[in-house]
Amino acid sequence: MVQQKRILYEHLDVPNINTFDVYRQHDGYKRFEKAIAEYQPDDVSKMVMDSGLKGRGGAGFSTGLKWSFVPKDIEPRYLCCNADESEPGTFSNRYVLEKNPHLLIEGILICCYAMGIETTYVYIRGEFTLGKKMLDAALEEAYEQGYLGENIKDSGINVNIYSHPGAGAYICGEETGLIESLEGKRGQPRNKPPFPAVEGVFMKPTVVQNVETLCNLPFIVDKGVEWYTEMGPIYGDARFDPPKPDPNTGTKLYCISGDVNEPGVYELELGLTCSELIEVAGGLRGEEVKAVIPGGSSAPILTHYELDTRLDFTSLTLAKSMLGSGGIIVMNETRNIVDCLLNIMKFYAHESCGQCTPCRWGTPWVRDIVQRIADGEGRQEKITRPKFGIAEGGRWGDTGETEEIYEDLDLLESVANNIANVDTMTWNTICVFGIAVSWPAVSYMRKFRPEFEATIREGKLTTLSVEEATVPPEENYAFQQRIIPKEMSELG
Amino acid sequence: MSDEIIQLETPFQFNEENMKKVDELIGRYPIKEAAMLPTLHLAQKQAGYISPAVMKHVADLLEVTVMKVKDVVTFYPMFFEEPVGEYVIRVCQTLPCALRDCKVVLDHLKEKLGIDVASETNLAKGTTEDGKYTLMKVECLASCDVAPVIMINDDLHKNLTPEKVDEILNNL
Ligand SMILES: Cc1cc2nc3c(=O)[nH]c(=O)nc-3n(C[C@H](O)[C@H](O)[C@H](O)COP(=O)(O)O)c2cc1C
Ligand code: SF4
Ligand code: FES
Repeated sequence: MVQQKRILYEHLDVPNINTFDVYRQHDGYKRFEKAIAEYQPDDVSKMVMDSGLKGRGGAGFSTGLKWSFVPKDIEPRYLCCNADESEPGTFSNRYVLEKNPHLLIEGILICCYAMGIETTYVYIRGEFTLGKKMLDAALEEAYEQGYLGENIKDSGINVNIYSHPGAGAYICGEETGLIESLEGKRGQPRNKPPFPAVEGVFMKPTVVQNVETLCNLPFIVDKGVEWYTEMGPIYGDARFDPPKPDPNTGTKLYCISGDVNEPGVYELELGLTCSELIEVAGGLRGEEVKAVIPGGSSAPILTHYELDTRLDFTSLTLAKSMLGSGGIIVMNETRNIVDCLLNIMKFYAHESCGQCTPCRWGTPWVRDIVQRIADGEGRQEKITRPKFGIAEGGRWGDTGETEEIYEDLDLLESVANNIANVDTMTWNTICVFGIAVSWPAVSYMRKFRPEFEATIREGKLTTLSVEEATVPPEENYAFQQRIIPKEMSELG
Repeated sequence: MSDEIIQLETPFQFNEENMKKVDELIGRYPIKEAAMLPTLHLAQKQAGYISPAVMKHVADLLEVTVMKVKDVVTFYPMFFEEPVGEYVIRVCQTLPCALRDCKVVLDHLKEKLGIDVASETNLAKGTTEDGKYTLMKVECLASCDVAPVIMINDDLHKNLTPEKVDEILNNL
């Protein structure tokens, strides 16, 4: 069985690690001291770039690259730590805040040193009252001990960190929604560009970084790039000749919930498969895996045929899903996929910020269609439309044939695809919330179409066996188009 | 809403302790308006809910229009514009909790308290007549590993069953 590799979470359960003294006994702040004593700010940035660290909050964007976009000649610059953690199925940041807040502070300090930033806001979701309390207490200690404030430890560096509570809106996790919210407004995302790195909070260059991303920094600085890049696969991007290294390095705080025996956060090297993770989490609760959501509720679902997919940024993207926030939700044979989709669509309909028409109207519309189907009132009429599948040349596309489909399923797909199109990856919305709606809607319907059809046909929520409910691999759009990436070492 | 027509039924003023905190909060940001959310949280803690008088006071302190404060208050689910119960019970309803029978917990609470679930536009229907409890559904509370969960005011309660809910309510 794959072993846990606890780095960020190594001292999580040490009693009183939330206090300065105990944290200090466990090398606390020594990594920050090492950074300022041994490296120039640019060296730290270079290490982060070379480590291959990718953002853990959802988008999986290279942290080093993001830092390189920040103009160094505009003052002041800000860091916003994204502790809004609201993606359903994700709960790893909460434990850091509640149990080991000094680790986050140390990570922030290192980021501030590298980027020459003097002010950081930690945007904590409003419901994290305990997390905020623990962080505030740790901040106070860090100020007392001279690790925050003016001229930290006589280094000439000034850093202030403030916690800032949200108030229950999911969209404030989106980086520009977070920025608007931080400025005291509705958390409605901004059009991009300009990106926050150039024009963010208070219209100044801003780095937005997830809690987990920042917590990686002390270890990268302390143990070095070589040590870091030994964890997790480095793929070769075959679109380049010679293949360009595509690192998926480091560990991930995988959050696993739903039908497993031991739900929880497991820190593991990136790149284990979905079935391996289920095994680590005490195995399946039930007889058979029906479906797995691999990266928070926004991620396209995986069927039991796709459990060999490795849970890293590249593999999941190439399997037409995403690692997202690393929230894995497992469903066993007793679950009804229509019902699960309804739950998720209610979430999105509630959380749309309302700025863009396709999202504001489309999301409740999708919810209503799924509700109607789940209530047994799905429209019985069928329509004829072009059939997509394995077309000439073995590629996925229009087969030239036609198929019959329930009107409601066609409508569901079409409304969702008009918010954001999952096939062309184009959207008509300001932020990617739109794709977070259509990804689940379209993928659940396409991959578990027999269960949707049975529910419409029978006029009541009908749960089929795993085998019957799942579209076979040869008709599964994602399975047919998925690419399994090769590691650099395999490519020679 | 223009400032003149607001009816200040219950006047509101931050108490001395909170006023100090607000001053400190405002100092954290380059613009006063940015202290909006933390200030509203403080106000709600003191007043119970965000009444027009609260909005007016906050608007004056942050030097913005009352409309701007209202705009923010209506956007965020955690701010209440009507009175709520002494204990606000938030029941998580999102998928991981649903897979762990959160519906049983919600139904039990509804039956036990004899109330419906509050909606954002109608908090009264989810509040007991004695003003003790308000029952609401919320989205994922980022504790799916210990599902099903509820929050009562600031405290999270995990791995719930109807029996555990009874025990918790008895100990309030
Ligand atoms: C709808 C939506 C919700 C998001 N929610 C969160 C969140 O709760 N926490 C988070 O860290 N990132 C969230 N993100 C991702 C952020 O936009 C951003 O990519 C991230 O904070 C960047 O930090 P990272 O590079 O360290 O991951 C969300 C994105 C979207 C589109
Ligand atoms: S896509 Fe939806 S959530 Fe994003 S900005 Fe538009 S309306 Fe708001
Ligand atoms: S779904 Fe209830 S805590 Fe996440």
